[in-house]
Amino acid sequence: MGIKFERVSYQYQGIDQRGYLAIGDINLSINAAGEFITLIGETGSGKSTLVQHMNALLLPTEGRMKLFGLTIDKNTKKNKKIKLNPIRKKVGLVFQFPEYQLFEETVLKDIIFGPKNFGVSEEEAIKRAKKMIEVVGLDESYLSRSPFNLSGGEKKRVSIAGILAMEPDVLILDEPTSGLDPMGRNALLEVFYDIHKTLNKTVIIITHDMNTVYEYAQRALVMREGVLVYDGDPLQLFSKKNIDNWNLETPDILALSKAMETKFDITFSTPPRSRKALFTEIKEVLK
Amino acid sequence: MKPIIEIKDVSFAYSKQQDVLKNVNLTIQKGEWITILGHNGSGKSTLSKLLIGLLKAKTGTIHVDGIELNEDSVYDIRKKIGIVFQNPDNQFVGVTVRDDIAFGLENLQIPREEMIERIDKFSKKVDMFEYLNKEPQQLSGGQKQRVAIAGILAMKTDVIIFDESTSMLDPKGRKKILEYMKQLNDEGTTIITITHDMKEAVSSDRVVVLKHGEILKVDTSTNILRDKTTLEQSNLELLLPLELLHYMDSNNVDHQSLKDFLWASSLNV
Repeated sequence: MGIKFERVSYQYQGIDQRGYLAIGDINLSINAAGEFITLIGETGSGKSTLVQHMNALLLPTEGRMKLFGLTIDKNTKKNKKIKLNPIRKKVGLVFQFPEYQLFEETVLKDIIFGPKNFGVSEEEAIKRAKKMIEVVGLDESYLSRSPFNLSGGEKKRVSIAGILAMEPDVLILDEPTSGLDPMGRNALLEVFYDIHKTLNKTVIIITHDMNTVYEYAQRALVMREGVLVYDGDPLQLFSKKNIDNWNLETPDILALSKAMETKFDITFSTPPRSRKALFTEIKEVLK
Repeated sequence: MKPIIEIKDVSFAYSKQQDVLKNVNLTIQKGEWITILGHNGSGKSTLSKLLIGLLKAKTGTIHVDGIELNEDSVYDIRKKIGIVFQNPDNQFVGVTVRDDIAFGLENLQIPREEMIERIDKFSKKVDMFEYLNKEPQQLSGGQKQRVAIAGILAMKTDVIIFDESTSMLDPKGRKKILEYMKQLNDEGTTIITITHDMKEAVSSDRVVVLKHGEILKVDTSTNILRDKTTLEQSNLELLLPLELLHYMDSNNVDHQSLKDFLWASSLNV
């Protein structure tokens, strides 16, 4: 088991000195490999706080976590013997604006910074950089370029390559596609899907885009007011009655296929989960 | 109708780099709702920064309500055009919601009593009256964007630019901002939305598609919505029902009532 939360809560102190519960009583298990998960919920529902626990950037104020065999609770901080660095190598976290974290003169230097920091030799780090720049859909010519002259989408890809070069088992991305144009977004989602498929990594994506959830995820997590209110199949999630209370939108493909089933004499054998599947199904049905 | 914004032969480049905008010509009428679409790096946001005088055009002229935009007129022009940016955290200047809305009014030297009146009125308008004494960290992204809108409304500008203002919001926040855009436009405010989201383009009168700094096409929103070739040239995609409609047409799938339904449902987002 990669990540296990047992009744994890996190309380922080506001500027008014009062305690605020950011996440409460979370129970959760995530495999070290092979999962594709989306994490959704309103702004302020605790999504970012939750994932920052997954690589021990934040430590619980109640409950305990097991991260790759290491048990962590509120006493961990005081115990100098417990080293959290190995966890951060296992669980790579890409923040919401990764482009702000690029700082080296070349893309290569930026990508090898992380692995070298974790004790990887320069030679090995460069080898990984060459591989990962391809994985994220760019090519080796980018390695000698300055990160500051890249487009928003390219910067995101470079920062993801930097995290991948640390060879984490679990890759967590906080709203990786917000602000990207539709084709840039689709291309990046394909990159994540590829990483999950070909490298057998667990990928966790925080998103507000319900189409991403519906079209890509095997598993959806929903946070609401600091509580994990759903953990399961995306299709069942969007068929639930209380979805309106959670302020989630119905994904476009599901909304349209349902509307067509109601209005016309059309029945889908299996609910289409991609544009392509929807189109070919319609063609079949109307033959 | 009278033009509120006239952009003539405008080009712009950051220092010695190549042009980000090339010979842009566009006239926007008073009360119009214009959507500007385009791929990342197409020059959309640069255009909005030129309109409020945050950047200066290399060549060409911009007139707002008949006044030419230059160093002398820029402060007067900012009384006519307000802008809501993408990141809600980067534009909250006040300590509380009340201070934030007051900020622009203080710059305009509005008398105190009128200021209080306007703050009350426009915070109510965006459903943030109950939050006037709250601090920004107690608000969601969508609520912060609504405060930004109230601040602009309080200044009574003729034009509001929404520069990807919904792209970082959750579905509920996005829907709410879209409702305000519609409402404000109905009441006569000229709206310019800069976006990748085709759902935002549906309600507008005209759509401008930019590609690599040039205007690729300007047309009514109903024409642009189904113009697959133009949209794809600028990294955009058709709304799902229209993509299906296009697929049915190009694969000779006949079903007129389904096609009518697809067209109608794409306009009803």
